[in-house]
Amino acid sequence: MRAGGLAFVAALLLAACSQDGGRKPARASDTLHIYNWSDYIDPALLADFTKRTGVKVVYDTFDSNEVLETKVLQGDTGYDLVVPSNNNVARYIQAGAIEPLDRARLAGLDKLDATIMAHMAPFDPGAKYTVPYMWGTVGIGYNVDAVAKRLPGVKIDSWAIAFDPKSLAKLKDCGVYFLDASEDMFATALNFLGKDPNSKSAADYQAATDLLLAARPYVRKFHSSEYVDALANGDICLAIGYSGDVLQAKARADEAKNGVKIAYAIPKEGGQIWFDVFVTPKGAPNPDAAYKFLNFMLEPATIARASNFTKYANANAAATPLLDAEVRDNPNIYPPPEIAGRLFVTTAKDQALLRDVNRRWTQVLTGQ
Amino acid sequence: MTSRQSLGAVRSSFAPWADPTATPLVRFEAVTKRFGAETAVKSVSLDIYEREFFALLGPSGCGKTTLMRMLAGFETPDEGRVTLEGQDLAGLPPHQRPLHMMFQSYALFPHLSVERNIAFGLQRQGLAKAEISDRVAEMLALVRLEGLARRKPDQLSGGQRQRVALARALAPRPKVLLLDEPLGALDRKLREETQFELMALQQRLGMTFLVVTHDQEEAMVMADRIAVMRAGEIVQTGPPPEVYEAPNCRYVADFIGEVNLFEGQVETADGRLVRLSSPVCPQGLEAAEDDPLPKSAAAWFAVRPEKMVLHPTPPPPGPNLMQGKVADIGYLGDWTTYVVEVAGGQTVRAARANAARVVENPVDWGDTVWLTFARDAAVVLSR
Amino acid sequence: MKRRSLAAIAPYLWLLAFFLFPFLLVAKLSLSDQALAMPPYAPRLDLAAGVAGIASFLKALDLETYLRLASDRLYLVSYLSSLKFAAVGTVILLLIGYPMAYGMSRFPPAGRQALLMAVILPFWTSFLIRIYAWVAILKPQGLLNAALQGLGLPALSILNTETAVYLGLVYAYLPFMVLPLYAVLERQDPSLMEAAADLGASPLQAFWRVTFPISMPGVAAGALLCFIPMVGEFVIPDLLGGPGTLTLGRTLWTEFFANRDWPAASAVAIVMLVTLVAPLVFLQRRASTLAAAS
Repeated sequence: MRAGGLAFVAALLLAACSQDGGRKPARASDTLHIYNWSDYIDPALLADFTKRTGVKVVYDTFDSNEVLETKVLQGDTGYDLVVPSNNNVARYIQAGAIEPLDRARLAGLDKLDATIMAHMAPFDPGAKYTVPYMWGTVGIGYNVDAVAKRLPGVKIDSWAIAFDPKSLAKLKDCGVYFLDASEDMFATALNFLGKDPNSKSAADYQAATDLLLAARPYVRKFHSSEYVDALANGDICLAIGYSGDVLQAKARADEAKNGVKIAYAIPKEGGQIWFDVFVTPKGAPNPDAAYKFLNFMLEPATIARASNFTKYANANAAATPLLDAEVRDNPNIYPPPEIAGRLFVTTAKDQALLRDVNRRWTQVLTGQ
Repeated sequence: MTSRQSLGAVRSSFAPWADPTATPLVRFEAVTKRFGAETAVKSVSLDIYEREFFALLGPSGCGKTTLMRMLAGFETPDEGRVTLEGQDLAGLPPHQRPLHMMFQSYALFPHLSVERNIAFGLQRQGLAKAEISDRVAEMLALVRLEGLARRKPDQLSGGQRQRVALARALAPRPKVLLLDEPLGALDRKLREETQFELMALQQRLGMTFLVVTHDQEEAMVMADRIAVMRAGEIVQTGPPPEVYEAPNCRYVADFIGEVNLFEGQVETADGRLVRLSSPVCPQGLEAAEDDPLPKSAAAWFAVRPEKMVLHPTPPPPGPNLMQGKVADIGYLGDWTTYVVEVAGGQTVRAARANAARVVENPVDWGDTVWLTFARDAAVVLSR
Repeated sequence: MKRRSLAAIAPYLWLLAFFLFPFLLVAKLSLSDQALAMPPYAPRLDLAAGVAGIASFLKALDLETYLRLASDRLYLVSYLSSLKFAAVGTVILLLIGYPMAYGMSRFPPAGRQALLMAVILPFWTSFLIRIYAWVAILKPQGLLNAALQGLGLPALSILNTETAVYLGLVYAYLPFMVLPLYAVLERQDPSLMEAAADLGASPLQAFWRVTFPISMPGVAAGALLCFIPMVGEFVIPDLLGGPGTLTLGRTLWTEFFANRDWPAASAVAIVMLVTLVAPLVFLQRRASTLAAAS
């Protein structure tokens, strides 16, 4: 879900090479092709998998759901496993672009956390197509001291900080970033307005658009990744961002010892929870290897190691005790129950709504 | 010499250079130009007079073009000065000099029509539109290109382009017209025609022309005076007959036309006659020469092929007689040139006018022949 | 004879295979409808159904997508914005590229080769990496601001502005402007300048009356080489521009990737091609007929 703002890079390259069917040639049965987000797995895990099963892994990475979806919908990806985010999966299923999983061939599904799995139900009822990898939230990342100076005594526990022009006006000089991600931002805005984040009503979206347009003059930049550095360097004081990214900014600031204190908050109105899930594209060349890999990732010890590397939460209840303490005990990675209860998931939009949301987002960004 | 006598067969009445009261239009005063370590022009002094058709002649790299470019302003002399009408040209950029040049490549502006090429210099002078178009029409008529005014240079033949370049340089009425190898790009027949056209034009316009050429024939035909250059220096300056008939050194003798050079040692030189001992002539070489030469010094007799006399049978013995075998015959129609190998392996050229259509006992390859020349046919050279 | 005719049609085969055929594919796609399927558009040609299949396929094509493009001002605005970027970019490129090419062409031949290499050298690095390098230079904590700070000057916020887009465009396309200009200027006979000076033109007059008009083919080639790809440029505005930077390339990206609307993306591409290339081809035709007539 860490939608890359610079996703076109991969897009262009993929658009170029996916046309030539270059991935089609028959391949050895002992090779597994995975397409995942960049910097999203511990390379040692892949080596261990190969050592254990004898299956070689070819691991490619992408930077945006859009690029992945375009590629998968075109067909003949040549990949055995790809890792989309939850709100795209329904479209994959509807287009017939991914294969249902044979649950009998997967061991350890019973160890998956029931509350988390309940969040997955809206987009993959019965978990017929997906196996969860990591999950995270959308919240507010902020510079503790800078915000305290401008909004003395204000607790950062509401989306109002990020959407109310009055508070934004006070933060404008030190810098506010919004994600450049239409669906995430509209869901967040709708939720703040007390509407259904998965609303289909045009009036709701109009209200969200008005909210975002009112905030726009105070937003320095709409960008889906730059806020990490900007927060870490103390260039800005507030960003709507993804949990893992804000934690990364915090880690960088701590490492640099530059006196910048970064915090992450899931506001009381609640926030979006998102999942990245493993799916098998239609026509995957080596499904057997895919099942081997999924079973490997379903092992609590493996997925715990994966989370320790990515600093994102996983959906495996049995893995939680095996995590590093700094990951397990971090409320921003594993939110306590009272926060977890306020999280919502977004579901897939139909084409007309998707187009409308993207059009409104263009309006927010460009005024056109 | 009496007044009836003259060098060559031409009598020239225009000779301002011989008049000590005349002031030259262009003066080069001890001009030197260096390019890096190379000295292109070495302390050259030269006067060019109004209405003169002056040729700078020499092989490529002799400095003649550099000399002309210093007058045009494209090069700056390192030493000495160049004056026009007595005014020092130093510091005056090319576009402010009242001289125009016809470039060897013609340098026509490819994006402009013939008429606009010709008008270019006139526009720079700020003439009125009507005057410009009159002058362009006049120039087009002068070079006989009336119908081609709107053509672009790449739609013209080589000869037409040459005339456009000429018209363009003439149009603003320069004080001196500089011509850099003006006929170099033309074929032979066109070149001959154009030579006479240029001369006629120069006469008609009463202008001063300075032409740079490597072609001695071109220079001989057109110029009032020729300066022969060699390695940055002027070796000899004079009217064509003088340069041809009285070269002052072997270089000039050899460069202008064909010449036979006979080397020898001075036996006697009494102020009327010079006698040399030479391996080619058992009876010695003799020539009329006023200047005395030191005894035993090396000297050369230069004799033009047309002044050598070819004998199919032995003539009576005497000086200036040599025997040899015909090695080559060049039949040119009006003339025939015989290449004769004489004693010591030297080849001597003799030219005979083909005065009759039919010749009895013609000279053939390998024939033994005898060559002589008159005492006053040879020029005595000491360098 | 046969061989010659084959050689004569070779360029047309090339055009057919690499321009016309893809163009028709895209044109067909623009007449299709979006669908949640693989691939995500309908109808698809069913050759097994024979003539009836082709007929129903053709019947299903319509201009709906184009009508939608016409109904939303966004497409026109982004097209005009792209044209503005390309036009301003081309003018800046000319202003920078011409003196550069002119200077190079007046260099001693040995140095010229080195300068030419210097112009071409950036091509050895990936285009993307070079644009990313600009991100690294222009970002708030980038090299530029570090340098300014070192000099005690205030920091600049250039990244994600139109200024950054122009910087990127000028940087990336400069060789495409300089090389054709250099080619015509270097070929220009230096004696033309001497002739102009000789005929009384000052150096400035000689430049405007002789050098510049003769270099017009280079100016036109350079301007076209830069203008056309800059209209469709995506990478530079996306990386260096802000979210408010509206370009046709980004609008197309949104249609293709965010909306998964391949027909709309194709329609945008077709409109761009027709409105941009058709006038240029027409202009070129006119220019060549004019040249032939004179």
